[in-house]
Amino acid sequence: MYKLLLSWRYLRTRYIALASIISVTLGVGTLIVVNSVMAGFAREMHVRLHGILADVIFEAHDLNGFVNPLWHMAEIRKVVGDDLEGMTAAVHVPAMINIQVRGQWLTRQVNLIGVDEETYAQVSDFRQYLLHPDNQKQLSFLLREEGYSESARQLPPSGWKYRRLKSHYEREYELQQRMLRQALGEPDPAAEQAVSPASDSAAGDTVPSDSIATDAVPESEILATVPENPLDAARADEPAQVFDPSTHQHAGIVLGIAIGSVRQRNAAGEVQDYFLCRPGDDVRVTFPTAGMPPKAASEQCTVIDFYESKMSEYDSGFAFVPISWLQEKRVMGDAVTTIQLKLKPGTDLNAVRDRLRERFPADEFPYRIQTWRDMQGPLLAAVQMETTLLNILLFLIIAVAGFGILATFFMIVVEKTRDIGILKALGAPSRGVMSIFLSYGFSLGLVGSGVGMIGGLLFVYYINQIAQLIEIVTGQEVFDPTVYYFQEIPTIVHPLTVLGVVIGAVLIAVAASVLPALRAARLHPVEALRYE
Amino acid sequence: MSNTTLVPRDSDRKSLPGATAGPPGGTVGSSSSAELQTRVDPRHQAGANSTPTNSRGNHTLLAAKKLEKSYHKGKVEVPVLRGVDFAVRPGEFVAIVGQSGSGKSTLLHLLGTLDAPDSGEIVFEGNRIDNLPARGRDVLRNRHFGMIFQFYHLLPELTTLENVLAPVMIRLGVLSYLWQRQAHTERAKELLEMVGLSHRLTHKPRELSGGEMQRTAIARALIARPKLLLADEPTGNLDQKTGGEILAILKRLNREEGLTILMVTHDQAIARQADRTVRLVEGRVAAA
Ligand SMILES: Nc1ncnc2c1ncn2[C@@H]1O[C@H](COP(=O)(O)OP(=O)(O)O)[C@@H](O)[C@H]1O
Ligand SMILES: [Mg+2]
Repeated sequence: MYKLLLSWRYLRTRYIALASIISVTLGVGTLIVVNSVMAGFAREMHVRLHGILADVIFEAHDLNGFVNPLWHMAEIRKVVGDDLEGMTAAVHVPAMINIQVRGQWLTRQVNLIGVDEETYAQVSDFRQYLLHPDNQKQLSFLLREEGYSESARQLPPSGWKYRRLKSHYEREYELQQRMLRQALGEPDPAAEQAVSPASDSAAGDTVPSDSIATDAVPESEILATVPENPLDAARADEPAQVFDPSTHQHAGIVLGIAIGSVRQRNAAGEVQDYFLCRPGDDVRVTFPTAGMPPKAASEQCTVIDFYESKMSEYDSGFAFVPISWLQEKRVMGDAVTTIQLKLKPGTDLNAVRDRLRERFPADEFPYRIQTWRDMQGPLLAAVQMETTLLNILLFLIIAVAGFGILATFFMIVVEKTRDIGILKALGAPSRGVMSIFLSYGFSLGLVGSGVGMIGGLLFVYYINQIAQLIEIVTGQEVFDPTVYYFQEIPTIVHPLTVLGVVIGAVLIAVAASVLPALRAARLHPVEALRYE
Repeated sequence: MSNTTLVPRDSDRKSLPGATAGPPGGTVGSSSSAELQTRVDPRHQAGANSTPTNSRGNHTLLAAKKLEKSYHKGKVEVPVLRGVDFAVRPGEFVAIVGQSGSGKSTLLHLLGTLDAPDSGEIVFEGNRIDNLPARGRDVLRNRHFGMIFQFYHLLPELTTLENVLAPVMIRLGVLSYLWQRQAHTERAKELLEMVGLSHRLTHKPRELSGGEMQRTAIARALIARPKLLLADEPTGNLDQKTGGEILAILKRLNREEGLTILMVTHDQAIARQADRTVRLVEGRVAAA
């Protein structure tokens, strides 16, 4: 009984000891916050990475891919069996995209991916990341009439409406210019026409036929009425038909959002998106053909949607086009560069991968078979490593706190030498005296880590509000959305981690009180009593 | 105020924890229960002096036999006690006198099993106690001896009442203490009333005067209904009047309750108040 009473009294009267556990509190609190945020980050990254990558990926060594994908897919279906949920083939090729911004051509480097509209969405979350709500349901490489601004991103007006207005305006401008020149008696606009395609094709040496057609629209067409249905008129590469941008589109392309826009702060310091192009605009895509030697093929495409996965690496690097179009323009037949598999949830990916590797040995087949984890291994490992390191560092903080407790306790034992002697003179066994200090350390650890736990959990719970508060106070953005694509700081609280941290901290506090407690237990009562 | 409950009587001997459960492994435990049947109240014993079954003690409660103790200062051995022999009978009030540094405190610590002699024996109720294991000595100090000191030695974190209850708290676990708290608190309050401190129950020691602290210490020493009170210069730090009051309490306890008291002092005047005086000179008992 006296042990409880005394350690309680010591706890209440020795505030210095409470000070020594503040570092325990802080350590526990930070550990919980760090682990929660890191877990949130890691999960977000897993979801994002896996959202784009299929479960198992066949990746050709050769940019020109491998032929006969249908045979491969049939064989894969045989090997994988019932676990297979979806499968698609795609063509990856490095490419350049030219975007016209206020008369200037911007060139950007991208990874052009030819995807199958029907099956690509089966293997990954690709569709969810498209902005247009209808494209999220069913991807089509045709421009939609409108509805792009319904997405989370505040897109400026886009779609056919915008495209018609734009081409209208351009033609009227052209007409005005022509009339102006005629009035001034300047050379015939036909000469002007010869110049404009040349400047248009500065990037490549081939001038696509439809590009000439664009500029060669007869004057009578300019005042043409709005088309009955833009989707009917969308067969862009019909060579016989004259291309009219207000009713026709080129091959559809989906651009990563960071290719088509720039996220920056404006003068007021607010984060803003500047769009270089939008759905309805035409861009020029240049990529190598499959022939030997490879030639550059340059094609016009119409942006039909943006793609936003919030992984900046993907959003600034990927552009999607229909696979058949890409195969045709690259002159590669039916060859594909990747086959991607989606497996049923819970399937052992590594086992399937190994079975496939057995069926398609590397010395016979020109591709690499990997799971998505294999492909993103270094990144995931880095996050894991970071978490581990932080945990070690923070536990070191708690260990430092443990030494603080040790020192404080030694002081208290020295200070309490006489009291220890009294207790022993009254018949308290050494074990009892020892347990006073152990339970004292235990309760300090419990109080310290309990307060730390509550504080840490509250912090995690209100982390976004706290970030906002810090932002208001300091004027500095804590969680910069131009750097991170997350709107909010993601957090996950694992109860087991919290429990482990608390138990660890309490153990450290108890361990730190063992030595002083032993010393107290060994004190000779007579010497302690003579102590004045 | 009843002075009947302060010191054990025959009727409540049986309920004394010390009597029912002696120190484990020690010789006291086994024999003190055997003694229970034969031993009678010290007052009767002193008066009637006729207990033939008590073959060993022959009316001694505590005896020191050829006690020797020396301290080491580096390599030099400093002998303090060089063969102390004396005995205390039940119900006696004995004073040990000697100059400062003559080894009185050392002797009292040995008798109270706070320290072990180099050689010699200490016999309590017919059983040797100096060689008991630590646990047995703890029990002995907790239940059979009461001790008061020159510097009071109260626990500064506890109130007067809690200080008095400290030996009970040490004896009992949390649950049994809470279970019996009512009875023990009652008794502690009675004791504090007896020493005249019933108005200071919730004061901390630093809020008390020296005399009040020593009264608290006396109440604490009596809470376990000990057979023997060991007092080390209980008036040494008090002015004459307060010291006289403390001494009066001790004398009354001895007279009215039959409590056996062994008191150490360097003051001849105080020693004269005792029944008997033992003089300590050069580590030996000198003729009084
Ligand atoms: N721990 C110790 N180490 C060395 N000498 C000690 C120790 N304790 C007491 N002494 C010596 O023993 C002698 C007796 O001390 P003590 O019993 O306190 O005397 P008293 O109580 O009669 O004044 C003194 O000379 C003292 O210096
Ligand atoms: Mg002394």
